[in-house]
Amino acid sequence: MALRTLFKSGVVLDIYFFKNNRSAFLFTLIWPYLTLTLIIGMGYLFGSAESFKQNVGVSVDPLMYFIASTLATMVSLDVMWGIGGSVLEHRWIGTLPYILLSPNRTSITLVLTYIPRYLLNAGIQLAEFAPLIFVVEGFYGGLFRLSIVILAITLGMLPLLGFSALFTSFLLSIKEESNVLGWLNPLILLFSGAFYPAYLLPRWARIISKALPSTYTIELARLSAIIGSPELRKITLLIGALVAMSVIYNSASGLLIQAGERKAMRKGAI
Amino acid sequence: MKAVLYLHTIRLWRYKWSFLNMILSEAAWVFLFVLGSLLFVPKEQLTTVVKGAFWVIVAWSMISNFSSLVGGWMRFFISIGMVEEHLLRGFSPFKTLLGRLVTGSTVIISSLLFMAVLVKGAFNVDLLTVDQIALLIIGMALLAIESLSYGFTVAAISMRTSVPGNLLEILNLGVIGLMMIPIHSLPERTRLIYLCIPYTAPSHLVKIAISSVPPELVREALILSTMVCVTMLIFAILAMKLANLWIKKNGVKAIGFW
Repeated sequence: MALRTLFKSGVVLDIYFFKNNRSAFLFTLIWPYLTLTLIIGMGYLFGSAESFKQNVGVSVDPLMYFIASTLATMVSLDVMWGIGGSVLEHRWIGTLPYILLSPNRTSITLVLTYIPRYLLNAGIQLAEFAPLIFVVEGFYGGLFRLSIVILAITLGMLPLLGFSALFTSFLLSIKEESNVLGWLNPLILLFSGAFYPAYLLPRWARIISKALPSTYTIELARLSAIIGSPELRKITLLIGALVAMSVIYNSASGLLIQAGERKAMRKGAI
Repeated sequence: MKAVLYLHTIRLWRYKWSFLNMILSEAAWVFLFVLGSLLFVPKEQLTTVVKGAFWVIVAWSMISNFSSLVGGWMRFFISIGMVEEHLLRGFSPFKTLLGRLVTGSTVIISSLLFMAVLVKGAFNVDLLTVDQIALLIIGMALLAIESLSYGFTVAAISMRTSVPGNLLEILNLGVIGLMMIPIHSLPERTRLIYLCIPYTAPSHLVKIAISSVPPELVREALILSTMVCVTMLIFAILAMKLANLWIKKNGVKAIGFW
């Protein structure tokens, strides 16, 4: 089966998924704004923007900070859940044995059929937040900040694909994916500094956060919230970190996934 | 009822990994969002705010868990064909649902303790020290009855029409926003109206019990929360009776909560 066919099947699957699950589509639209409103609303109820800047230690706009955080968090979660969670979905609907037995490698099938969903979901969320960013920052300011977020979520997807593929092979081998995915995803986001900067976490947690690609994606997206222009050096550094992580995680996944898949097939973990 | 309690306790043990996952994930998700909001809090007010936020989250966890663990279980119960079996033996399927109290309470209490450990580790705030324990128990008991009534109403509705779980989650998140509002920040004329909204009066009592807000309108909150509680309970009982009658006349449709 050609890789193009796999990609095409992913596109068709997503279009029909949203067409036949309108409430899921509506929920996709509502959820990011709901998260943003809840965090910012609760934040202003408890304190102020001045305290926020003091606690974060950088002069940032809280609204843009949380828009960027929400977008980067949602897409990171989407990759991890989209690839890892698809194992669970295929197991439930009984298609996992067919995917394991198909000529392409399981991880390749899962990743390639997932990419269209990532592009679609990321596109929808960007389009959703773009008007708010333009209203708050003006046209040119908004365009600049939006470009940084787009750069972060596009580059951030590359290491996350390898990371999630590794994660998937681990889930395939332990047979307890539903009980692991549920708590591991928020934990990864917590260590990645999803809404609370990773540099404010305790030392032991910072060590874990440095190994997670989502940390760099979220940090890069958050540079869009800095009042004034973010330093080019910092942007370049984060891009470098994401590229390096892409190489590391994708090479590691290439090596380890086959072993995970073989173990799943040998033990009949389907 | 002994059999019902036995069933749900056995299920809780057999699905222990699933319930452990539920406890861990709920605490982690809540912690993730709350950490973001706490960035707005000045350092000197952190202890009071963290304590207030924690107990509101416990209240929300109760509402959310009772609606999904009680209301949501009806779908499973319908899909395995157990509603008809119970009706034929003259036992209301809603009585079987009552046993979900075991599951719900276990998940809520374990999440509460796990969250307390997480927050204590992160902010060094002792969350389980309460100034007015009696008021806290009354507030939590009223919240439990209101949220259980809500769960049973959802279960009764799901017998006749589909209940989209996603939209209920949105509604539950809206509730957390309402419960977070400190009553003294509202205009004086609207305070009693605010307390009439389900869950707000018991959560106000909880906030007073932990000294997160000044002890204002305690008597009013007690009366209003009891009234709302009784209304919700009557509504749930009526909804269940009507659903039972409807099933007996029209048969069971595999709809449920999804």
